Amino acid sequence: MIIHAQTPVLEVHDLTVTYARKPVLWGVDFTLPAGCIAGIVGPNGAGKSTLLKSIMGLIPVSSGYVRLFDHPLDEVRHRVSYVPQRESVDWDFPVSVLDVVLMGRYGKVGLFRNTGARDRAIAQDCLDKVGMAAFAKRQISQLSGGQQQRVFLARALAQEADLYLMDEPFAGVDAATEQAIIKLLREMAAAKKTIVVVHHDLQSVRAYFDWLVLLNMHLVAAGPTEQVFTEEMMQQAYGGRLSLLSQVSDVMEKRAFPSRED
Amino acid sequence: MVGDAISHAVLPGIVIAFLLSGSRETLPMLLGAGATGMLATFLIEYFHRRANLQTDAAIGVTFTFLFAVGIILIGAYAGQVDLDQDCVLYGEIAYVPIDLWVTEGGLILGPRPVYILSAVLLVVALFIKIGYKELKLTSFDPAFASALGISTALWHYLLMAAVSLATVSSFESVGAILVIAFLIGPPATAYLLTHDLKYMLAITAALGIFIAFTGYWTAYWLNASIAGCMAVVTGIGFAAVFAAQRLMKTKGSPAEPTRAIG
Repeated sequence: MIIHAQTPVLEVHDLTVTYARKPVLWGVDFTLPAGCIAGIVGPNGAGKSTLLKSIMGLIPVSSGYVRLFDHPLDEVRHRVSYVPQRESVDWDFPVSVLDVVLMGRYGKVGLFRNTGARDRAIAQDCLDKVGMAAFAKRQISQLSGGQQQRVFLARALAQEADLYLMDEPFAGVDAATEQAIIKLLREMAAAKKTIVVVHHDLQSVRAYFDWLVLLNMHLVAAGPTEQVFTEEMMQQAYGGRLSLLSQVSDVMEKRAFPSRED
Repeated sequence: MVGDAISHAVLPGIVIAFLLSGSRETLPMLLGAGATGMLATFLIEYFHRRANLQTDAAIGVTFTFLFAVGIILIGAYAGQVDLDQDCVLYGEIAYVPIDLWVTEGGLILGPRPVYILSAVLLVVALFIKIGYKELKLTSFDPAFASALGISTALWHYLLMAAVSLATVSSFESVGAILVIAFLIGPPATAYLLTHDLKYMLAITAALGIFIAFTGYWTAYWLNASIAGCMAVVTGIGFAAVFAAQRLMKTKGSPAEPTRAIG
């Protein structure tokens, strides 16, 4: 089931990605509207991170194409922000928190030029938004997992993009930080930014996302959450995994009761 | 350990330079060695990236292959000439003052390595100054750098080329062991002292100069090998900083509780 957006911010068309001749993504096709928080959900190995990476051109695609704001990526790179998985970097690297956030300005500053006072002010402001202003001078090796994630988020904010692609921003983050992050994402969405989040926790899907992409190597469903997040669709995506299915039906039961988040 | 690999991998370059120039002059030897040194670093990186080979495996495959090619070339074409890595590799720092640069008119301009290495210093320092931002980002977070449209492969190759240039040109005057000692020792010590990349670079340079002087005077005082004493001072310096930090930590820990995770 695919429900397309009217004027899409992101259009993924018939995307196929292979690693060593084995397909990881197979004919994935969907669109996202502007100003939504979209979740990419699916079992382990469904190709969720691969999908983000291929949208950012980090891995070659075998067929299909991706268009952002109705342009190829290279023409609109400055409008797109990518937040890699926290584990993808070496947190013992000798840089400070402010240094990492300033990296978000590198794309705007351009080649061979240095970041200026204005960039510093923006970086400091972004740290403030994620509640990490007091840590600006801190070395990144001294941060907890949740703080590292917030630094990554601040760096993404510093890019001042219109489309944000986040790879598991809630992994290893405590409940309070998760709430702080989702609040920030809602504010961004209200300002017509589009946010795409790779997510694992099925319990919070309905509360967090207004658009959902269900993935299991091929696309299971894509569209507004209330239409996609059905038991039938979830069984298709997670099919055959009993423990997960019970978890899913658990979530479905909760739909019958008004949730506090709504 | 790339430095170690380069020291062996330069052999075919030396032989080819000899075959082309027909002499054992230092400059063609250095050029040949420099070219194969870079080729070696490129190959190592290529195998590591494209074949997903671990770095040590990539290094092992590359430098044994190049070294063997050098041996075969010597056996086939230059068997009568005394040609091996001694020509460029096993320099002796004590001989630097007598390795003079004499112009055709007979003018003595001082030790030749001083000029060569000053030029290399200038090139490397300029490279770091110009590409500091890009080098930092591509080392810390390659995925994010690629997402910004910065070529991680290009910057990594440039960095490796700079390493190759610095090592090969130093081999000739100070010898392979000392190059490796200076390549690893001072930055490892600096990393213990700071977690800021700029300070780390400055401390590394200062430590290098300090080690050169103290090593030299230790050698003078003990009447021992200069290179040996410098390498020993490097090791002692690292051990001293490490021990001092361990002591401070055990003393300071009750007063300064570990930070709360949050």
